[in-house]
Amino acid sequence: MRGPHTPAAEETTRRQFFGRLTALMAAAISATLAVPAVGYFIGPALRRKTVGWLNAGAVSALEPDLPVQREVVVGTQEGWFTARTTKGVWVVKRATGEIRIYNPHCTHLGCAYAWNPAARQFQCPCHGGVYDLDGRVIAGPPPRPLDALDYRIEGEQLEIRYEDFKSGTHQKSPL
Amino acid sequence: MRALWGWIDSRLKLGSVRHLLLDEPIPGGASWVYVFGSITLFFFVLQLVTGILLTVYYAPTPDHAYDSVQYIEHQVTLGWFIRGLHHWGASAMVVAIGLHMLQVYLYGAYKPPRELMWMAGVVLFILVLMFAFTGYLLPWDQKAYWATQVGTNMIGTVPFIGDLLVRIARGGADLGALTLSRFFSMHALIFPWLTVGLVGLHLFILRRVGPAGPWDEARAKAVREPFYPRQVFIDAVAILCSFLIVVGMAVWLPFPLADKADPSASNFVPLPEWYFLFYYEMLRFFKGPWLEPVGTVFLPALFYAFLFALPFIDRRKERRPARRPVALAAGAGFLLVVFLLLGVSLHRVWSLPTTSPGVVEGVKLYAKLQCSACHRIHGEGGSFGPDLSYVGAHRDRDWLIRHFKNPPGVVPGSAMPPFDLDQPSLDALADYLLTLK
Repeated sequence: MRGPHTPAAEETTRRQFFGRLTALMAAAISATLAVPAVGYFIGPALRRKTVGWLNAGAVSALEPDLPVQREVVVGTQEGWFTARTTKGVWVVKRATGEIRIYNPHCTHLGCAYAWNPAARQFQCPCHGGVYDLDGRVIAGPPPRPLDALDYRIEGEQLEIRYEDFKSGTHQKSPL
Repeated sequence: MRALWGWIDSRLKLGSVRHLLLDEPIPGGASWVYVFGSITLFFFVLQLVTGILLTVYYAPTPDHAYDSVQYIEHQVTLGWFIRGLHHWGASAMVVAIGLHMLQVYLYGAYKPPRELMWMAGVVLFILVLMFAFTGYLLPWDQKAYWATQVGTNMIGTVPFIGDLLVRIARGGADLGALTLSRFFSMHALIFPWLTVGLVGLHLFILRRVGPAGPWDEARAKAVREPFYPRQVFIDAVAILCSFLIVVGMAVWLPFPLADKADPSASNFVPLPEWYFLFYYEMLRFFKGPWLEPVGTVFLPALFYAFLFALPFIDRRKERRPARRPVALAAGAGFLLVVFLLLGVSLHRVWSLPTTSPGVVEGVKLYAKLQCSACHRIHGEGGSFGPDLSYVGAHRDRDWLIRHFKNPPGVVPGSAMPPFDLDQPSLDALADYLLTLK
């Protein structure tokens, strides 16, 4: 099996040679596993959500300058799971005919605000944020106007694209 | 690198650990014969890594298990590859542990003083089979559901306490949500920890008693070589090769899921994994209230008990195969029966009598008429119509041909359209279907 006795110096190089070759093979196997594993683990987390159009009721029922809350059913595909949540967006038809849709969260810290018909303002109960009909900040801590959402009118139906935005920032950035 | 090693070594005193791990003397020197234990251990680690990754996206509930596996297969970055490694890695592990046991058996390495190592190994072997059985259910497709239905029913054939055992296995009377969650728990938590512990014990015993080496005492004494570097290198080459085979299978041999599990489907004929096929074939010989438990319970129990107690049944110290005719004949006989049954099963399930031109023509017609859109044969095809895997066993030519021409006339309410074929085509299609039994 083993050859005649070899000098110590050569023995070490032989040991080292096998050692390095073994380490190389172990590294090859580990890399073949580790690279896909990292992609597998983080890949789906980096995917962008696609936002579809959601029905928000008839346009004709809107009265000028009177905000109403309309419910939309948001179906989010979370991997293999379809989550359905109901969101109540604020819809305003201005006297000019222009329509505005607001995300229902205060831009300060994300509380749900409401329309106060007596004061004719949107008021947030948490920290006193106040907005006007155009979503502009009138008083309180909100750093930016209410977050407007995209909409379109299909026939008589109002359709919106629901998105949430990061709260507390001056810039409106989607989550 | 060297400086870092020195820094760590001066604190943790790793030199002696390295000596303990690597300088174990191997009687008779390093050899390619000893690689199977290392390969089995490697595949266990591979199953751990890929299995843990699968749990990142897998959901063990009947509502979501199937969708989550489909998500892994089709949506997750390289999910198909991770799942492929886990699927084929399982087969590879069965092969590796089988070869490992054969080598140990042939070399008589279970004999004193290594009885405990062998016994721990037998328990590990049973664990591997339990892994296979519990893992098969998790994708929750038709194959998984019906194979487990059959598998758990087999537990029910145990005399007296069978019903109780089935309830315990299923977590209730029926195969359902509680079965899936307990199979997941066993497959992903209980068995892995047991296996880690037993592998530790197996290796601890190995280091206490030492490897057996060649059966020839003189050769064993003549050469002694440390585990490192040659045996480590040989193991690494063998591991790399087997890993590359499994990688190739994961890449080139996809195995799509069947339809989602449907407990109300009555026409699905499940097939077990290939490594259980010989046993599936054997069970065909054990029919009836008295014979069935012999096949499902007594023979397997006897087999495992025999394996476990082998060092105490075969008590002679002799390790040379030439001097152990009974042991060798028993081993060879066992292998012969297993491979014979496997061959018969594969032949029965997959092959066609190609001698008859009608059958070949029938296979072509079956594909051309897209029969598989509605009918399934051994897991391939739709489930809208009846499963045809064994249609030849209970239909005759006359019935088949009348049925092709006018399905609702033969089976009232049938949704199958009539097929207006010429007589040779009708005959060919019937020829083919009659081979399915």
